[in-house]
Amino acid sequence: MQPANDSQQEFESLALPLLDALYNFARWLSHDQSEAEDLVQETFAKALRGFSSFAPGTDFRAWMFRILRNTFLTSRTGLQAKLTVPLDPDEEAAAGVTWETPETLAVASATREALQQALSELPLAYREVVLLCDVEEMKYAEIAEALSVPIGTVMSRLARGRKLLRQMLASQRPAIIRKVDGRR
Amino acid sequence: MSCREWQDRLQSYVDAEMPPQEMEAFRTHAAHCPDCASAALSLLEAKGALRRAGRRYEALPELRARVVATVRQVAPDEATEKPQSRTRSVISWPRWAMAAAAVLLLAAGLFYFADRSQRTNSLAEFADLHVATLASANPVEVVSTDRHTVKPWFQGRIPFTFDLPELQGSPFTLTGGRVAYFHQEPGAHLIFSYQRHMISAFIFRETPQLGIAQAAFSNRGTSFNLQTWTQDGLRYVLVSDVNAATLQELAELLQHHT
Repeated sequence: MQPANDSQQEFESLALPLLDALYNFARWLSHDQSEAEDLVQETFAKALRGFSSFAPGTDFRAWMFRILRNTFLTSRTGLQAKLTVPLDPDEEAAAGVTWETPETLAVASATREALQQALSELPLAYREVVLLCDVEEMKYAEIAEALSVPIGTVMSRLARGRKLLRQMLASQRPAIIRKVDGRR
Repeated sequence: MSCREWQDRLQSYVDAEMPPQEMEAFRTHAAHCPDCASAALSLLEAKGALRRAGRRYEALPELRARVVATVRQVAPDEATEKPQSRTRSVISWPRWAMAAAAVLLLAAGLFYFADRSQRTNSLAEFADLHVATLASANPVEVVSTDRHTVKPWFQGRIPFTFDLPELQGSPFTLTGGRVAYFHQEPGAHLIFSYQRHMISAFIFRETPQLGIAQAAFSNRGTSFNLQTWTQDGLRYVLVSDVNAATLQELAELLQHHT
């Protein structure tokens, strides 16, 4: 093993803390353990090689996620997944979303397993944006950076993705949809 | 702004992407509008549920070791070189070193990083619960200023008991309580008032998830103050917009009840 130089050490201290988050994201994208592991390894290798092009002060986390996602999209599973993404109904979603509380409640009260099932069935374009926003708790600007899309697209895909999740869960478990404000 | 307009913007509120003034305006609106308040509450809960469900996979120690090995072997900016394959990196690293790295990283890395993010998030969730409850039209399920009414109400609703101090002569008033859930675990959520401020006191059984460090919270830059401690196997968390000294005062009352 070569002695680590400064830039390698700096890279390690920035990147290793993201390992679990990147791996979690990779699993959700690929649905496969060994593929996710390879994706993560390749991401770290690519990122380190390109580390000098990373501008200090910009968002390192978004940069790492972008490399991971681009690596995934060019992988075999990624290429297949891309084909099955529906046409982007951004405009439709942006036209206004109504919150049907019983549906939203179906998400809040769904079991962890039901939520994970719904999330894994969500089309890739929505799954990734929901994961970055709700699981990684990234800001819209950070997500836009990671996905290389405008912020408006992030917002409309989020709205659409969440709506799909609500519908999936509400149709699965009609029994739990009680009147929300029964206590009032 | 009308309810319809607010509800169109609710996503930005829930994702904390609204400008602060607008957030404030929404809170004011929600205080008088049960529909918007309950829509915001259920969206916040849905977001929390997704966050918990979405944190599903953790890197195995083997992967961590593999990644570390890769990083140490790839010289930065050798753009032409292919990434190390799995087999090569295993061979070039002695097996004992792999095992040692795996054990060390499991101990240090997994614990530290997983735990730290968990802690920060736990505290954020209490702040969310506090905000969501206050925004709701019916913040409490048992409305009483009498500790002898509130305490027995929780019996059978939560899996533990706790004591409440006499507040007479103190600047705090008990408003009531509700059952709150944190990581599927039921606990007590008491609401105290201090002048015109509300203070949430959460009491849960101590679990690893609840092992909370206060420092993590102050880094988040929220406008809330927070106090937390454990006592008799229970985790207490106070959240409020009152100043830290006032919160400390209530914390001491709760700690020294007899």
